[in-house]
Amino acid sequence: MLSVIRGGRVVDPTAARDAVGDVWIEDGRVIDPPGRAADNVVEAAGCVVMAGGVEVHSHIAGGNVITSRLLLPDLYVSEAAPEGHPFAHAGGAAAWIGSTYARMGYTTAVEPAMPPTHALATQLELADIPLLDRGALTVMGNDDQLLQLLRERQGGNAVRDLVSLSVAQSRGLGVKCINAGGASAFKDGALRLSLDDEIPCYGLSTRQIMGSLLDAVEEIGVPHPLHVHCNNLGLPGADDSFIATLEAAEGRRIHFAHAQFYAYGAVDPANPGTGGFRSAAERIAQAITDNPNATLDIGQVVFGQTVTVSLDILRQFAGRKGANPKKWVLNAGDAEGGGVVPFLYRPRGPTSSLQWAIGLEIMLLSTDPERTILTTDHPNGGPFTQYPRIIHLLMDKGERDREIATLPKIVGERSGLPGLEREYTLSEIAQLTRSGPAKLLGLADRGHLRAGARADVAVYRDDANRTAMFTAAKLVLKDGVPIVEEGEVVEWRSGRTLSLTVEADKGMAKRADIYLTERFGEGLDSFAVPDAAFGEGTENFEAVPCRV
Amino acid sequence: MAAWVKGDATDAGTAIVAAASLLAAARAPVIAGLSADVAAIRAAYDLAGRIGASVDTAGAAGTYAELGALSRVGALTSTPAEAVGRADAVLVVGAAPWQAPLMKRFIDTKPTRGRAAGSDRALLAVGANATASLAWPAAGGLAEAVGVLRAYARGHLAGDALPGQIVARLASAQYGVLLYDPAELGEAGVEMLQGLAMELSETTRCFTLATGGVGQDRAVVPVSAWMTGQAPRSGFGRRVPEHDPWRFDAARQVAAGEADAVLWLASVPVARPDWLSAIPSVALVADGEAAAAEVVIAVGQPGRDHGGVLWNEPRATLTYRPASAPTDLPSAASILGALKERLITGQAASRSEPAC
Repeated sequence: MLSVIRGGRVVDPTAARDAVGDVWIEDGRVIDPPGRAADNVVEAAGCVVMAGGVEVHSHIAGGNVITSRLLLPDLYVSEAAPEGHPFAHAGGAAAWIGSTYARMGYTTAVEPAMPPTHALATQLELADIPLLDRGALTVMGNDDQLLQLLRERQGGNAVRDLVSLSVAQSRGLGVKCINAGGASAFKDGALRLSLDDEIPCYGLSTRQIMGSLLDAVEEIGVPHPLHVHCNNLGLPGADDSFIATLEAAEGRRIHFAHAQFYAYGAVDPANPGTGGFRSAAERIAQAITDNPNATLDIGQVVFGQTVTVSLDILRQFAGRKGANPKKWVLNAGDAEGGGVVPFLYRPRGPTSSLQWAIGLEIMLLSTDPERTILTTDHPNGGPFTQYPRIIHLLMDKGERDREIATLPKIVGERSGLPGLEREYTLSEIAQLTRSGPAKLLGLADRGHLRAGARADVAVYRDDANRTAMFTAAKLVLKDGVPIVEEGEVVEWRSGRTLSLTVEADKGMAKRADIYLTERFGEGLDSFAVPDAAFGEGTENFEAVPCRV
Repeated sequence: MAAWVKGDATDAGTAIVAAASLLAAARAPVIAGLSADVAAIRAAYDLAGRIGASVDTAGAAGTYAELGALSRVGALTSTPAEAVGRADAVLVVGAAPWQAPLMKRFIDTKPTRGRAAGSDRALLAVGANATASLAWPAAGGLAEAVGVLRAYARGHLAGDALPGQIVARLASAQYGVLLYDPAELGEAGVEMLQGLAMELSETTRCFTLATGGVGQDRAVVPVSAWMTGQAPRSGFGRRVPEHDPWRFDAARQVAAGEADAVLWLASVPVARPDWLSAIPSVALVADGEAAAAEVVIAVGQPGRDHGGVLWNEPRATLTYRPASAPTDLPSAASILGALKERLITGQAASRSEPAC
């Protein structure tokens, strides 16, 4: 069927397009105007037409997410089920995640933390998120098997083979390292770790582990650069860790997760633990401008109750004292394990206000929004449902000023936010939420509306109230099929999980099988994510090729 | 395929029709057992959500001891492979954990990873035991005993009595593990044990580890959490998931006359409760027999008759198990899917009736 979305303001920064026009769609793809009459015409006058949103870092599945639901059963509100799905309005459920993203015009979302030991459970959970295409990043950097290999200096090829085996086995879309070596150090008694600190029992450092993973990702040709969660998240002086990590990348491609949590300069560098922090947004933004090999996502903080979930158990253990309410879960499990700590970003509290300001400041100082991805590190900085409000604040200086006026003076004293005049354009918002994340993940047919693009399209009613505009799209197409109309889901279809096609080395598979059997009593088969696990006749996975 | 309606052997189609009418006639149906693979557990929740049933599991006693404590105070945990690989001191709480397959690995091996690698592993016990190097009989009850240990760890009690010695040994360990069976220890005891681990971890590393429960409860908990946002037990009669371990206790509901039909799901064999015969019931079971329920449908056992995703106790996660001896018995998931088709189609036909 030939369809046209007619007369909307089409915003596609990858084609320098921001003007009233048409978008033609056939067989699930965007096409050039075909010179034929459309079978189906969608009138979009007064609307903004963008590619479907792409999420690179949101905790939407996995052991920590499960635990957070058990620890805080009342975190999200549930409403009566809609027609067609029994759990789509059940707060925090997989179907709620899928439908809430879809209503906002997002069509792809990536879970950034899948431990290979728990890949099948994570993948099964992802598969139950309807409407969206999904993906997951395979986490490495703390497991004994990798650390042993590095300790014994077995060489880059062995690391590369273990990384490709882990990605292939877990069916990941990319590779992430989380405070590399930190979880291992925690189990051996450490309470802090910086880039060059020695990791007990292995004689390694974060720099060495991360460096070996950076090389492996390049050698394998993983489209998404190594996704890095640095040391010292959230501590005054964490900006030094960020910059040191960037320098340690030595020009190799690197993605920084939730950069806001590192943009904390120590007020008193001699006593970073006691003097508090000030915004280091300028320093971080400048570093990204100066290093075209680097990208970041924000991890914007929003006010209110949330829960922090992270495989950085060193950090989560340290954060337990700040748990609000006062309960927390830490699993010092296989490889990273996981930690879940409830947290309240106190409305109008001085610390949370400064964190809020720093996230916005990084985005407003960015010289390249395509390398500055909007995230809240859901749910760590707050829920992803706040994206429309954040977009509103970026696009509207007046709205920002009204919010700042309600906040403590520290926002002006320790951040530059009040002085920033910039207002994001719709094109820049599309870079932040569409073209940037799609490029970052190496998904060439997403994040834009040029011919050949997947027909994942969001149509919003143009509205000065950007919060309202981006909360409930007028129309969302997934692969050309309407899934949301007037802000409500109209078609409960299942998307696919994007998984990298990577060849696993047979020799390494054999070695891993022996190692795993020794440690777990079961070999590689037990760690597999086979198609059969997702039900007969269902095609859950979609292959994504490596870079050539 | 084997199926029975009111004791009489019949074919699959007839049994599915009978099961669907039994459930359609119910105002407060319960889906219980859930000792099954992930596909069937998912199908059970989907069905429950659509017909407004409540859900309960076979291993509920242990599951709620865990979940209740977790939602109140949190937890500090390890996994079997990490505990075996790293622990230089293991405190076995109660009698049940000594029967767990994991105990043999603790007894037979030494830690191989981390800072305790190569050292001996001390086995300590709450409850009389001859294997442990230090055993405190603790006649007063397990939960109370754990409370006493915690008081020593916090410094509220002092001295070199047995519990004091046990705590001192754990405090001097590099990686301590507190091994327990949640059903045996109970909710208050689990809560106290988490507090003990947290207390000890202020100065060293100490983690709890639960031994396995009944049926596939450990698989049900995550599936329930991701599908509905809530842990079991839960009910869907009001079209929002409601988590309430007391209210949706199947045995209680049947005894109180609140439930009027039960679907018992046990494709992974597990003991059938007595109350099943007290109420109109459907059983989807691997060990099918005519007397199991009013309507019985024999289904394949996952991992034997057909492949399926099951809880993997030694690895503490989900694993796909291919069929070890394939048969053409239907999967429980496929029967639940067929029931949903019949029930939802019927519902759609009667949707013109006003809702009350």
